[in-house]
Amino acid sequence: MSKKAGKHSLAAGRRELKELVDTCDAIADRKFNPFFLDVKLGVETLRQFFPLWETFQDHCMDAHTLNRLSEVVRLQNTQLKFQSSALYADPEFIARKVERMSEKRLVEVLLHSWHPLAELEQLTEETVTDALNYWDALLPIAERWKKRQFIEGKPPSSTDAETLTGLGIQGEEFNKQIAQIYEELRTSCETSKFTNYWAFVRRSNYQETVRRAYFVSFLVTYGFAKLQTNDGNLSLVPVDHPTGKAASNSVSFPIPIPRSIEHGE
Amino acid sequence: MENKEATQTQTFYSDKLKRAMHLLLFRRGKMPGAKEWELKEKVGKNFEQVLEQLNQLLSELDLEIRKVKERTPAYATQDGIPGDESRYYITLKGTLGLKEAKMIGWRIDNLAALAATLALLMSKQGKAPREDLEKLLANKFGRWKSITLVDIFLRTGYLEEDDAGVISLGWRTQSEIDLKELMTRMAEVKL
Repeated sequence: MSKKAGKHSLAAGRRELKELVDTCDAIADRKFNPFFLDVKLGVETLRQFFPLWETFQDHCMDAHTLNRLSEVVRLQNTQLKFQSSALYADPEFIARKVERMSEKRLVEVLLHSWHPLAELEQLTEETVTDALNYWDALLPIAERWKKRQFIEGKPPSSTDAETLTGLGIQGEEFNKQIAQIYEELRTSCETSKFTNYWAFVRRSNYQETVRRAYFVSFLVTYGFAKLQTNDGNLSLVPVDHPTGKAASNSVSFPIPIPRSIEHGE
Repeated sequence: MENKEATQTQTFYSDKLKRAMHLLLFRRGKMPGAKEWELKEKVGKNFEQVLEQLNQLLSELDLEIRKVKERTPAYATQDGIPGDESRYYITLKGTLGLKEAKMIGWRIDNLAALAATLALLMSKQGKAPREDLEKLLANKFGRWKSITLVDIFLRTGYLEEDDAGVISLGWRTQSEIDLKELMTRMAEVKL
């Protein structure tokens, strides 16, 4: 019974020392004020558990904790010296001031204490190499202009329902195609719970792939299907009783469609 | 004869002045300025006297030579023990006006953010977690801008970040900013 209690205390001791080291590390990383930790209590804890240590690792941990506590004492000393210096200001006070000061006032404070460096820039081996690499990687101007023309499209303009129906993105035909894709998805998920997004969407023809991705985006947006990730792969799960309404808490998830089918996944 | 000797000394000295000036002004590596050993090697043992004379000349142009102690990492020293080495820079002796600061390529809101960052860091003895800085800047300048701002200050050398994400004052702050003046001005601001 006493042995069991001893084991328990040993485990508790190891845990406490780990917590102590973590706190000391956080103080060293300036996450807490050094006076946040009661060093005397820390030393008492070390003294309390010292007779229980069994292994070499326990003693190493004990020494490490003592080392970290001494670092906290050093930081407390620095803090006291700093507080008594002319540079001291309470961080909360500074944060409040910054919040309430105008940008112009902040700049004026900086400008009164700022003495920028004077130097001359010149070519170095490093800058020449950077420039050459940039030049080598640069496409010919004709290519760049081509790309630009490709990107440039018509500016946004308004349209009417008739045009949308004509384009196949509204009306009976559109609804029919959505229903067809939905049925296709349900069929492909008869044997398994989900189907791979790219396996479902991609076709040998790029335009057809884009068209299917376009319809799938509607299915997902209006709750007919769910888009999930399984082991880093996108998958689709059909919903048995869809609401047909866009979810209020939905997020936008863009999926780029590469031209190369091999890079589709 | 005396006159000839004086001329020779003058020529020799001006040559040293030129060499020192070139070392201080032209950037050779990643950092501007010149290290103490470079000056000793290229200008001579009496480089401090040369710099003193150069300083007198520069002061007429509102410039001055500043000596900054920098910590040399263990791998860069011969004995493998980290040491202190001085680096000399030429800085502006006076200060810039608001319009001048804009002209040398700084945005006013970036300078305001730099003032806030340095003041907060100084209040925390020169070190603070990155999140604390970003939080302070986000309240004032917006969340996305705060991340960019910290990156800008890191890139320009005003701040340094260690592996644990703790931000400290960078070499540029040590050489360009009069921190005592900054904190005094900050304390004097009436809201």
